[in-house]
Amino acid sequence: MSNPSAKISDKWTLFFGSGLLALAVTWFFAYQGIHGHDHRPALSVLVGCLFWVSILIGMLMLTMITRVFDAGWAPIIRRSWEFMIGGLPVVLILGVLPLVFVPSLRHIVWHWTDASSLLPNGHTVGHDPILQAKSWFLNEKFFLARVALYIVFFAVITWALRHWSFLQDRERSASHTHRLHAISAAGIPLTAVLLTLLAFDCLMALTYHWFSTMYGVWFFALSIRLALAVTVILTYVLSRGGWLDGILNQAHRHVLGCLMLAFTVFWAYISFSQYFIIYSANIPEETFWYNIRELNPITGMKSDWWGVSLYLIFGFFFLPFLCLLFYRTKIIAGRLLTIAWVILVGGIFDLWFNAVPRQIVDKTAPEGFVVSPFLSGFLWLDLLAILGFGGIVLGLFLRSSAKAETIPVHDPRILESIHYHE
Amino acid sequence: MTERNERIYGVACTFRKVSDVYHAAEKVRDAGWKKWDVHTPFPIHGMDQAMGLPRSKVPRLTLLGGVTGFITGCLLTWYMNSYDYPLIVGGKPLWSPIYPFPVMYECTILFAAFGTFFGQFILNGLPRHHHPVFDLPQFARTSDDSFMIVLEATDEKFHLDESRNFLLSLGGQEITVIRD
Repeated sequence: MSNPSAKISDKWTLFFGSGLLALAVTWFFAYQGIHGHDHRPALSVLVGCLFWVSILIGMLMLTMITRVFDAGWAPIIRRSWEFMIGGLPVVLILGVLPLVFVPSLRHIVWHWTDASSLLPNGHTVGHDPILQAKSWFLNEKFFLARVALYIVFFAVITWALRHWSFLQDRERSASHTHRLHAISAAGIPLTAVLLTLLAFDCLMALTYHWFSTMYGVWFFALSIRLALAVTVILTYVLSRGGWLDGILNQAHRHVLGCLMLAFTVFWAYISFSQYFIIYSANIPEETFWYNIRELNPITGMKSDWWGVSLYLIFGFFFLPFLCLLFYRTKIIAGRLLTIAWVILVGGIFDLWFNAVPRQIVDKTAPEGFVVSPFLSGFLWLDLLAILGFGGIVLGLFLRSSAKAETIPVHDPRILESIHYHE
Repeated sequence: MTERNERIYGVACTFRKVSDVYHAAEKVRDAGWKKWDVHTPFPIHGMDQAMGLPRSKVPRLTLLGGVTGFITGCLLTWYMNSYDYPLIVGGKPLWSPIYPFPVMYECTILFAAFGTFFGQFILNGLPRHHHPVFDLPQFARTSDDSFMIVLEATDEKFHLDESRNFLLSLGGQEITVIRD
């Protein structure tokens, strides 16, 4: 192993340890929330976990897609994705798994799992005909089984993609490339189905009366956007004294910038279409989801979630979209880096927008409920959870980097990738 | 011969190898030529840089078309649904930026495509049915196995004998004067 990477990989315990510490603090508050029957600190764990799950699922998809299409530019960057995706099952095990498998946490986060939970209309969840109609999917046994399946599947697919790719460093055989091609071809549709179900279970089912068939596609678009943003930042750092120093060139930035532009447009297309279809049909069983993200049900005025919505339109779509239209944004490292941070921050807002607002039963309110606000003391806990899971992911990334060559030196397309030009 | 046929369009020479034409192009660029061209049977990677060509201006026309289309979509929906014949459909406002968004969006794409297509047409000087280099018998081979550099007479640096010798010094063969 070359010297710089050995030095970097020694630091993995630092990242991993501080990540665990930050996560422990988040979990402490989440457990405190159980006693006060407050679901919000547990949502911090969920938001922090899903932020990194979406990044890693995005990288998993990019790894498989570039394999299937034999992308000539990809190998030097794909190895970093392979180092990263090893953290995917770990993040799920430290975040979603306890939230779902500890009954008291499950009941306050996913209130459809608690039959005694009250609804704004005065009924309990146990007597809710809407839930009964959905119970073939939304029942606790199937829910637990699905979550277990996500973890097992992502553990297996990430292991397979890493194992044979790393083995190629030693065995120098093109047959591993063919094998990984086949694994990826099977893995893409399976991952697509499971990430859709994961988005349904972990986010859409937080408001279980609501439904959107585009939700999985939205989560996929968000995942790829965040994965590309992290890739741009990561490869930039690695090109400044890390293992991509002297290897990463303008054409690699250009291709990442083009993909960022494409998926910025795709995310906007999906997010807007979901809104537009619901807005056009104007059916109360669908529109309430957007109403609680716009209006304060007591005053009827715009709530702070309205501000978040506008931020998503202008800060998470128009700003990166208009900047990325220009060629120079895509090739000048500083500009592309800035846009990557804009997308990363916007992604946190998008997760907040999707995960946090919910109807909280309040009999004194005119419509029987209030909406959890955006601005609250828990925002710092969300950020702490993101940092905590981030430390764990980066720690595992550095640890993985000692297990194989930091670029796939015996990949058949390695020269094409190093000498990639526009 | 008529007066028109006496006008000189430029000087051409051919090359047999990609590396030869590539390095010759670099030397023409470094000599400061602006009005000249390279003809090859297939795209040569890096030829843009070797020729010192700037990036295409077509994307600016695409953006211009897109912005025009977006504004057209806004005005179209506002004029038709809110001004000329006000009509409430599906309980939506007479005009808002949301319900007619598909129209605005489609107009953006349509006009951006127009900007791109007609933009490249204009910037490429199309339509054009004849070009002086077509008169050269050896030009046909630039779509098969030969490469050609043409220095145009409209360039400030052009001088018939010097330009001939310049091409000769680059290793060009079959140096020919093209008449307009």
